[in-house]
Amino acid sequence: MVTSARLALAALLGLAALPASAEEVPILRIYTYDSFASEWGPGPALKAGFEQTCVCVVEFTTSEDAISTLRKVQLEGTATRADMIVGLDTAVAGEARATGLFAPHGLELSGLDLPSPWTDPDFVPFDYGYFAYVYNKEKVPNPPVSFEALIALPATFKIVIQDPRSSTPGLGNVLWVQAAYGERAPEIWAGLKPHILTVTRGWSEAYGLFLDGEADMVLSYTTSPVYHAVAEDDHRFAAASFEEGHVAQIEVAGILKSSEKQTLAKEFLTYLTSAEGQKEIPTTNWMYPVVDLGADLPPEFAAQPKPEKLLEIDEQTITANSRAWIDAALDALK
Amino acid sequence: MSATRRKPGAPFRFNRNGSGSIVLPPRPLRLAGGAGIALAIAALVVLILWSIAAAASVEPETARTAIDIPHLLAMTSIQAGLTAVLSITVGTALAWALNRLRFPGRDLVVGLFASAIVTPGIVVAFGLLAVWGRSGWVNALAQAVFGAPLDIPVFGLGGILAAHLILDGAFAARILLTRLDAIPAARIKTGQSLALSAWQRFAVIDWPAIRGTIPGLAAIIFLLAFTSFPVVLLLGGGPANQTLEVAIYTAVRLDFDLYGAVILALVQIGVCATVVLAAAALAPIPPSLGPSRGQRWSDAPPARLVQRLVLFLCVLGFALPLAAILLDGLGGGLAALLQRPAFWRAAGTSLVIATLSAALALLLALILCLGRAATPGLALRTGIGVPAYAYLAVPAVVLALGFFLLVRRLGLDPAAAAPMVVVLANALLALPFAVATLGPPLDAIARSRARLIRSLGLSGTRQFTHIEWPLIGRDAGVVLALAFCFSLGDLGVIALFGTQDFATLPLLMVRALGAYRTNDAAAIAALMLCLTIAAFVIIPRLFGSAADARA
Repeated sequence: MVTSARLALAALLGLAALPASAEEVPILRIYTYDSFASEWGPGPALKAGFEQTCVCVVEFTTSEDAISTLRKVQLEGTATRADMIVGLDTAVAGEARATGLFAPHGLELSGLDLPSPWTDPDFVPFDYGYFAYVYNKEKVPNPPVSFEALIALPATFKIVIQDPRSSTPGLGNVLWVQAAYGERAPEIWAGLKPHILTVTRGWSEAYGLFLDGEADMVLSYTTSPVYHAVAEDDHRFAAASFEEGHVAQIEVAGILKSSEKQTLAKEFLTYLTSAEGQKEIPTTNWMYPVVDLGADLPPEFAAQPKPEKLLEIDEQTITANSRAWIDAALDALK
Repeated sequence: MSATRRKPGAPFRFNRNGSGSIVLPPRPLRLAGGAGIALAIAALVVLILWSIAAAASVEPETARTAIDIPHLLAMTSIQAGLTAVLSITVGTALAWALNRLRFPGRDLVVGLFASAIVTPGIVVAFGLLAVWGRSGWVNALAQAVFGAPLDIPVFGLGGILAAHLILDGAFAARILLTRLDAIPAARIKTGQSLALSAWQRFAVIDWPAIRGTIPGLAAIIFLLAFTSFPVVLLLGGGPANQTLEVAIYTAVRLDFDLYGAVILALVQIGVCATVVLAAAALAPIPPSLGPSRGQRWSDAPPARLVQRLVLFLCVLGFALPLAAILLDGLGGGLAALLQRPAFWRAAGTSLVIATLSAALALLLALILCLGRAATPGLALRTGIGVPAYAYLAVPAVVLALGFFLLVRRLGLDPAAAAPMVVVLANALLALPFAVATLGPPLDAIARSRARLIRSLGLSGTRQFTHIEWPLIGRDAGVVLALAFCFSLGDLGVIALFGTQDFATLPLLMVRALGAYRTNDAAAIAALMLCLTIAAFVIIPRLFGSAADARA
């Protein structure tokens, strides 16, 4: 019995070890985060759209989240099978760049429609959003207008946020408070503490708690209410506009130096930032497109107010300090 | 080892409790099989850690993670210890009540209770909140009756313990119930004729039957709670409630400090191994088994009242959160979900993977437990038993990363290897539960039937088909159901090995949640729960009747 089980296992492993047949059609291998390539994400439509324009096959290999795709490539080094990573963001771009694994994209991107002009030589943006606290207008008629106004509310007013160590919005929140308050950031975190119902591992748990009525506000994106309006025809939700300003999350893609398909990868990035590719993004990733889509953008996106003030921290400062800021925030919450 | 100086080929002598020596029939093949599997699992863990450490040495030095390990260990141990004690206490009370009471739908209740542990923890946590949370049923009721909501502290240590109790307590009851249901009818008849009181019956008949299972079970529950991560963060109420697993996750994900991660993983494995070793040393070998059909026992009215009360409270506590999941999911979202081809693909993938990994888990567990039961020395017995717990002790993020690196090192295509890794990982996940379920009865059979087997001169194969299988068939059914459902509900490594086309139901659920599709996610969760309950009702029954037919 033992031997036959071992044999069966060996046979199974053997199947996987068969050398990939020489690529008759070139395969563009993309590492991305799981929800990008999922049924509900932009992945399937982008794959189908791009495969119509090229003689190639797009293959997604997914990780739990964007940072894990970077870790995989760092571990594999130049031996990686990936041609590119799609789905890193501006908060980790500096760390990704420092690995030296990414090649310049060489694309002309000055025509893109972004919160501020794009000059990055390595990474190509493909969507963006602003971190914001989302609330139900029927339950919260007078939402707070700043972090300090939120702190001044009674402790029964609860928010739910994500752990900055495991979640992108969680990290974004730390950067946001830092950008708005600088050295006063720990004080703000300590003030927020009584209002924080819990700190979840990921965005979905936090958003689920909010939708179930456990908290009054949840850290998410200004575009979250757009999902409810477009997909569910539910117009009760809104994003609180904070006077301090908001921080943007820009999602980017980058080509790996080690890839032998530089041209194909660049073609994919060109497609990704074209109106054709961009029109798949808003109603799958629920983020703003990086080009003006005109009538292809659901009107609910335009109806959603954009922040009046944009807060920015430069990449080097983020890379050098984000860990210390996270620790300070967590310490204040303990 | 007492048997080291025996002559070659002479039978093992086994001495226990001064009750005279028991001579085990020599079964070198079983011993070799058990030891081989145990070694293979241990080697896999070493390989996984090594592949990460080897990758770490290539990386440039980064800032080492500064973590207060003793504090984290203390916090996590308190939480896990409380969870284990509570779960075993409640589980024993519930198993006792269920064993005595007969009522329509009993199988369904038993199946429902067992299904909690294999449901993704996050789903159960949300079920708990649907009942006890700020906008939950209890508060809605309080609002209607008293005009004001109750202030129930669901977030914090209390909430973590409650969620873990729902996950693990009901499961403990399920496993202990199999032991109580396996008590030979003749022994119960004797007890009844001696007019034992309810308490005496528990102390004299029930306790000896379950105490061999309790240490292993408690160790499993401790390990589950010790490594619990999303539930602790979700219900913890803030970064004050943490586990070592979170620190390991941080080291890998945020700091990319792989050395730090391996060291923390070793600390966690060390703690878990200590707990498992202590459990192995504490576990006595239970008394003999026999045919257990037709258990008949009637307690005095006060005891029956207590049993009904225990059952009522447990149904309220355990079943309501699960009912909330079903109600939430079987509403609006279901029809739309069933029209999605991706759902049917994921359901098919899940069923195939669950079937394969359940079969593998049962096979591995049988080899391990038969090997262990044929071994006389405590040290060797422990050595064969302990690696079965490996999957629970190794942090998930380390496991996933290690598997990924290992697959790469072997030159395999991660996408092609993914199904096999998932099958293997899921089988390893179910293994401790399988060993805890099958181990004690097989040990008991080996000891109590040794003389009979030797005097009949049975071969190992005939010993299995004629003596062991008829007695453990029912348990094997429970193990198969457990392993099947564990695999069905496990997220584990698949999230890190995913490709667009390879998805299981829990992964699809997480993807739906990540894309705002809460209705779809709720429907998937409810369907997984239905499948799980069905598996728990049907599979043990199939095996039970098969075993009865052979007995």
